[in-house]
Amino acid sequence: MLLTSEIFTAPAASIRADGAHLFWSGNPPKSLADSLAEFGQTAPVLVCETEDGPSLVAGHSRLALLAAAGQPVLARLVEAEDDADKGRLYLADNGHRVMDDSMRLAALEYFAPLLDRAELESDILPRLGVRPTSKDAGFLLAWLDLEPEWRALLAAGNVPLAAAGPLARMTAEDRNAARPLFAALSWSRSNGVNVLTWLFETARMSASPVAEVMDRAGMNAALGQGLSPKDAIARLTACARQVRHPELGRLQARYAEAAAEITAGTRWRMAQPDNFETGSSELSVQVKTPEQLSRAARELTELAESPAWGKLWDLGSGNE
Amino acid sequence: MSKRLPSHLRRIGRVFVDRSMLDSPMARRVRDRLAGTDQADIPWTVVEPDQDRVEFTDGDAQALYLKEYKGKFLRFCPGTRAYHCCGYRIIHIGENCPMACSYCILQAYFQDRVLKIWANQDALFTELGNAFGADRNTRYRVGTGEFTDSLALEHLTGYSRDLIGFLENYDNVVLELKSKVVDLTWMNATTRTDRVLPAWSLNAPFINEHEEFRVSTLRERLEAARTCAQAGFRVCLHFDPIIHYPGWKEGYGEIIDLIFDYVTPDQVAYMSLGSFRCMPQLTPIIERNFPDTTYIYNEFVPGLDGKARLLRPLRVEQFTFMVDRLRKHGMDEQLYFCMESSEVWNQVFGFAPKDIGGLGNRLMDRAFGEK
Ligand code: SF4
Repeated sequence: MLLTSEIFTAPAASIRADGAHLFWSGNPPKSLADSLAEFGQTAPVLVCETEDGPSLVAGHSRLALLAAAGQPVLARLVEAEDDADKGRLYLADNGHRVMDDSMRLAALEYFAPLLDRAELESDILPRLGVRPTSKDAGFLLAWLDLEPEWRALLAAGNVPLAAAGPLARMTAEDRNAARPLFAALSWSRSNGVNVLTWLFETARMSASPVAEVMDRAGMNAALGQGLSPKDAIARLTACARQVRHPELGRLQARYAEAAAEITAGTRWRMAQPDNFETGSSELSVQVKTPEQLSRAARELTELAESPAWGKLWDLGSGNE
Repeated sequence: MSKRLPSHLRRIGRVFVDRSMLDSPMARRVRDRLAGTDQADIPWTVVEPDQDRVEFTDGDAQALYLKEYKGKFLRFCPGTRAYHCCGYRIIHIGENCPMACSYCILQAYFQDRVLKIWANQDALFTELGNAFGADRNTRYRVGTGEFTDSLALEHLTGYSRDLIGFLENYDNVVLELKSKVVDLTWMNATTRTDRVLPAWSLNAPFINEHEEFRVSTLRERLEAARTCAQAGFRVCLHFDPIIHYPGWKEGYGEIIDLIFDYVTPDQVAYMSLGSFRCMPQLTPIIERNFPDTTYIYNEFVPGLDGKARLLRPLRVEQFTFMVDRLRKHGMDEQLYFCMESSEVWNQVFGFAPKDIGGLGNRLMDRAFGEK
């Protein structure tokens, strides 16, 4: 593949711009339109010769803007041997763009049928700013095997890249069942991955489909409640956590209830520090003045007498 | 017609041997025992002194590596402060195992298919002799089943038989041989049936069938235990790991009842109960190596030692069920928990290790037949 030294001017309409290697083409940015209006075309687009005339290799936005303005296009001839080379040249010419995960995935989708997995890893991922040994590399490659509907959700920013981990382990039927969770909500990395992981693991442990687990967890009902996106995500996350860790959830709820009773009306906070491995509690208070300190000390003496402590010592022992 | 090796040894497709061990008694023995079997012709590769490791990948084939081991042979069991350790000492005879149990920690320790045997037995016996002979009043409870299965390679190596013969002179040492296969060829190497404790791990039949591969059946293990008991040995039986799966009550109830068709409580020196626990790194390894395994998705939480453990009430429920059932069969002082907290001891047994003078002391006494 060669960048030739042949630079020429051609009518915009004479250059075909329909190659699949133009995988990031979209609406031209306004900054480029302004720049073209002020200075004209500062860098040639790249084209290759085909039997049907010149075909665009890179420079889709410039070509679109110049075509719209009825202006001729400055083009540089390249000799691309195959489609993979065209893709590489396109990436090189677009190297200045800030890439997001869906752009990276779009590029990988283009290269996937052209190169084997090892070449994708060693050659293409670094061009996308991804270390082949990184976790993100694994996630991106896993996304290639997921359904287009899921990839659209990634592009929309609704599902995080790392969701590929749990999604790739699910069956297509289970993924299908989980998709409505992401259709209208934009999930953070940790919540998105956790919810999918909990659903997958609960389904495996109980040998039931994800759809059934979601139902059991009350997630389908929560989706239909018209909650705000923030509340909906919080509710769905809590449902999935509870169905994955029912006993731990029960202990935590009982602990929180007793702790609230014990510390009511005081500044003290209580926490169970070791996942109920022991009957321990941690108490903490923040004080800024000697008066606050004296008051906290008095409160501590009083709260030590609370009968609710009786609910805590044996919590998690199995002998409650 | 050539003989076949026991099924758990049939994957061995190569032998590596350190140059210095080429003429060792162990290398000669392995060569002799392979001769006449249909694995007699597997290639031997000499490992030169400057080679720091052997690489072996050949499908699911395994390799034996007869190695000159330079580290310490006698070690402490790696207990933690947060949970009560049984305090036994490890005699390190090799690493890795030809069998495959989904829950096995060795998958995380050794990610290759090389079964290492420390072939410099003279060095091992020198170190053991120095330790055990220094003070004949110091008692030792030792075992070889920490980094390998004690008897998995016995058919080829005769290692336990050698060890038992060596320990014949050390009245202050009890050796536990912990295994999931049946190999009793070591039995007639000792007159001290009171100083060798053959031990088998047991589990619920479902776990044995779905999570343990290339191992003997539960009945075979119990038959072997009965043979040993009839020959005058006391045996150890271990429930570790106990797994919380749907149907666990029926499964553990069934195997507990079965035990006493084969042995009586007084023939059992001790029996441990340990709930499945693992370093967090093991879970993805289990997922990869055993894709059908689902118990790893139970309610595990980080324990006080950082390992993933089943949530305490679920452990206590299982332990209580099993201990009640075992007590009905007459088991009592034989029972102990492997790596559990005082809380759990108290909840299930009604006492903690400190109330019985410490777990290590209790087991030492039982090992020496004094309780
Ligand atoms: S027999 Fe023991 S050492 Fe071997 S794989 Fe099973 S658990 Fe691990």
